Amino acid sequence: MAEDDTGPHVVLDGIDFSLEAGEVVDVAGPSGVGKTTLLRALARLLPGATGSLELAGLPAEEYIPAEWRSRVTLLPQRFALVPGTVRDNLLLPWRLKVRQERTPPPDDSALAGALDSVGLASISLDRDVARLSVGQGARVALLRVLLTGPDVLLLDEPDANLDDVSAEMVAEATRTFAQGGGGVVRVRHQRIDGVAARRLHLAKGRLSEASTP
Amino acid sequence: MNELPGGVIEIGWPQLLMATGFVLVVGAVSVRLALGLERDLAIATVRTHLQLIALGLVLRWVFGVESAWLVIAILVLMMAAAAQAVVRRAPEAPRGILGSSMVTMLLTGFTVTFAVTGLIVQVQPWYEARYVIPIAGMVLGNSMNGIALALERTFADMDSRSDEILALTALGATPWEAAGPSVRTAVRAGLIPTINMMAAAGVVFIPGMMTGQVLAGADPVAASYYQIVVMLMVSAATAIGSLLAVMLSFRRRFDAQGVYLEKGYRAG
Repeated sequence: MAEDDTGPHVVLDGIDFSLEAGEVVDVAGPSGVGKTTLLRALARLLPGATGSLELAGLPAEEYIPAEWRSRVTLLPQRFALVPGTVRDNLLLPWRLKVRQERTPPPDDSALAGALDSVGLASISLDRDVARLSVGQGARVALLRVLLTGPDVLLLDEPDANLDDVSAEMVAEATRTFAQGGGGVVRVRHQRIDGVAARRLHLAKGRLSEASTP
Repeated sequence: MNELPGGVIEIGWPQLLMATGFVLVVGAVSVRLALGLERDLAIATVRTHLQLIALGLVLRWVFGVESAWLVIAILVLMMAAAAQAVVRRAPEAPRGILGSSMVTMLLTGFTVTFAVTGLIVQVQPWYEARYVIPIAGMVLGNSMNGIALALERTFADMDSRSDEILALTALGATPWEAAGPSVRTAVRAGLIPTINMMAAAGVVFIPGMMTGQVLAGADPVAASYYQIVVMLMVSAATAIGSLLAVMLSFRRRFDAQGVYLEKGYRAG
């Protein structure tokens, strides 16, 4: 359920959904049906949402919201890189309190290796993000999340507005992340790309299994 | 020509009436250019006379009574009025910030006013109305514009950064971390007019307090010292007040889970 300025109203209802480690699930459905709302609810980023969530057998209430979001991380469709360099953006999560007491930030060679893994080897860490193309920016934003090593990655239209090469790089990075044991939920309109093992259909506020790709 | 103590030339009713002649010039311009301002101008002129004469009478009475409680009560009233003015001038801010605006003006007003009167001017007794009230008036009057500007900018900037705030929150940012860049932008915006005023003082204009003291017969250099103290205290009040106002209110745009309430998710 979601609440907004028109008062409480139901966008999603009776969603019962589980995700295994290493699994990639695609959610499809008509525009405006609540796919983004579903991802925001899973990331505990939906004001007024009700229901229960669990991660690794523990209810969501056991995690402080910032901790939950650092483990179940949403990459919004408008991924919003912050003003600064590529390095500033990739290291942004380590400037946040939630991460400061955990792993140390990756060094420049790790960052360069990460850029290389999504086909951005030619991009300097000192490049101003204002000078990146949309496809390059999307890959930097994806890396910004992947480098933090979440348990679950929630991708909202990760390859919308991307050229084929960039879309393939994003798909490959997603596949690698899942092979490492991470769970992925993707909302996407694009053609089936062979990354997802399951495909769900969202309509009239309810999720149903779509045909297996 | 009547002279007041200190060599000040007194202005009486005839002179006040003569000064009102200036309004006739403005009225004539308004009529000639069809500005339609005659009625507003007439009301504003009457209000200026009534409000300032009333203020003079109240201050004359307060200066005579010499009561600490009376001074404190007047300061609280002034701060409440300033808090309301700040809220009115920041329409982008969420509803219900009058309380935090009041706390801001009370803390800023009392701290800066008594830091100046107690530590720098060393007024005896500490509640001497002749010093405390005008200084509090300058602290509040000059800092509230900056405070309102900082509040307005904070909420406008957070709206323009709502995508970035969502992306940051999704990475685990707290509301303070997500709002941080907007707060810095806003406090900066609130302070710039004060810094510009400090830079221009004495070159582009003679500040009001110094003018007043010189007209009242004070030595211009001694008056300049007072004015420097006033300028610095206004900058401190604006910085403290802006930061306090923003810190006490920015959280209203986030829900209990720390999620930024974008326009579609706000109640009313």
